[in-house]
Amino acid sequence: MDTATHMLRTGRRGALFEVQMALRDLRASLQRIDLAWSLAWHDVVSRYRGSILGPLWITISMGVMVLGIGLLWGEVFRVSVHDFIPFVALGIVFFGTVTGTINEGCDTFVQAAGMLSQTSLPMFTFVWRTVFRNLINLGHHLVIVLAVLVYFGSWRTANYPVAAMGLIFLVLNAAWLSMLVAIVSARFRDIPQIVQSITQAAAIMTPVFWPPDRIPARYHLILDLNPFYHLLQAVRAPLMGLGVAPHTYLFLAGMAVVGWALTFSLFANTRRRIVHYL
Amino acid sequence: MKAPPVSISCQDLTLRFPVYGVDAKSLKKHLAKITVGGKLARSHGATEVTALSNLNLELKAGDRLGLVGHNGSGKTTLLRALSGAYEPDEGTIEVQGHVAALLDLNLGIDPTATGFDNIRLRGRIAGLSSKEIDQRLPEIAEFSGLGAFLAMPVKTYSAGMQARLAFAAATAVEADVLLMDEWIAVGDADFQKIAHRRLLKLVERAGILVLASHDVELLRLYCNKVMRLEGGVASAVTPIKNLDELMAA
Ligand SMILES: Nc1ncnc2c1ncn2[C@@H]1O[C@H](COP(=O)(O)OP(=O)(O)O)[C@@H](O)[C@H]1O
Ligand SMILES: [Mg+2]
Repeated sequence: MDTATHMLRTGRRGALFEVQMALRDLRASLQRIDLAWSLAWHDVVSRYRGSILGPLWITISMGVMVLGIGLLWGEVFRVSVHDFIPFVALGIVFFGTVTGTINEGCDTFVQAAGMLSQTSLPMFTFVWRTVFRNLINLGHHLVIVLAVLVYFGSWRTANYPVAAMGLIFLVLNAAWLSMLVAIVSARFRDIPQIVQSITQAAAIMTPVFWPPDRIPARYHLILDLNPFYHLLQAVRAPLMGLGVAPHTYLFLAGMAVVGWALTFSLFANTRRRIVHYL
Repeated sequence: MKAPPVSISCQDLTLRFPVYGVDAKSLKKHLAKITVGGKLARSHGATEVTALSNLNLELKAGDRLGLVGHNGSGKTTLLRALSGAYEPDEGTIEVQGHVAALLDLNLGIDPTATGFDNIRLRGRIAGLSSKEIDQRLPEIAEFSGLGAFLAMPVKTYSAGMQARLAFAAATAVEADVLLMDEWIAVGDADFQKIAHRRLLKLVERAGILVLASHDVELLRLYCNKVMRLEGGVASAVTPIKNLDELMAA
């Protein structure tokens, strides 16, 4: 059963009409945003049902990884563990949220094929499902973030409101990237591999595991033009008690506007077809 | 405010499938002599199958329409279009009332999740709140007859058990418009009997039923009208008593 009691579907009536229909889809998904939450919770809960630790696995595996990398690479780079572990912990957690949202975006519509082909559920619902699922995972990782902040003392100097603002920028941008790859992956099945390669390359090119001040000044473009760096910096820096460069916000705001415009117009143009791609 | 009466209205409904990665010419050669399937055509460089063309259909409360036709004649496509999943390429579809589509039982089932989780999922998608689902859970569980298996992942079920679960979950919600595809012959004889009773009740409750099937007995049992599809072109809607003539035509 659909909650919509009236349904009207028509053929194409020009570009403006397609945009209106895409907006209607968005609005419908927001009216039933609790459905996207339920779907996301279902994903998390059903993945860990029957395991002893349940979703705590997410936290523990992440904790082990943070500790291992923090200790080892801190040694490699000869920086004090005291600075490096919080840096790596925040980096892995928030970078993981960005890449997780993007990588899992490839599956958003493909996984929902069954529901999309026999209900009138909004397509945006499944985009939010992927975003929310990653936010729920992030919620579990925040335990580690908190533990690290408290243990290494930076919880006193952290600027939480600025970090929260950074998180909003992060989610806004990760969401359009996720939706973009969702649409393209539905049509072209080799896209997920390409997306994976890109996010893997990004993990190396972005100061997640290595301190940004290690990079020579003449290579600074690697940071300045790297969207992942800005996404990460907007959340990580304030939590470490550091400032965020104004051009980071400029970059992220511009990226969100351009990215959503691009993604939304692609959606408006392909919305009718997506279900047939699957 | 009184809700408008349950109805379905399709006007000049045309629906085409884009087919990707196919050479239309070679495909056409193969299919030229075959009578099943929609019409293949090429437009804007992409191959398209016209699954429904210029279909007109008006149904009101009390109508129980049977869809007949060869494989590939467009029955499933019409049902998916009525569910709101497929957008028309031309024409309009208008549906008043809650729609429940029982098209492919296994679609929408998450094989890694437990039976209970799948029932919950299905209920949420159908628009029930978590509380409403909890209230109905015992009844659905009992009807499924799966007992302790409901706490196990669905991938451990046999095909018949999966069908039981899907059927129980999908039929737990009242609907005004019920769309069913030809899967009804699922499960063992036992389940067939109770499924039949439940379907009859559902059909009574639903304002409109559209059922696609090859099974003449089944159509006579559930439907009062029939329509025949052939290559995406629909016949007129006629009373069920004309079923034999329609099939022979
Ligand atoms: N997802 C799809 N992609 C391309 N063509 C399809 C798709 N689904 C159905 N078709 C085509 O549409 C026509 C009607 O199919 P369908 O509605 O499934 O027929 P029926 O249910 O009557 O057997 C057939 O020619 C079929 O090949
Ligand atoms: Mg069919």
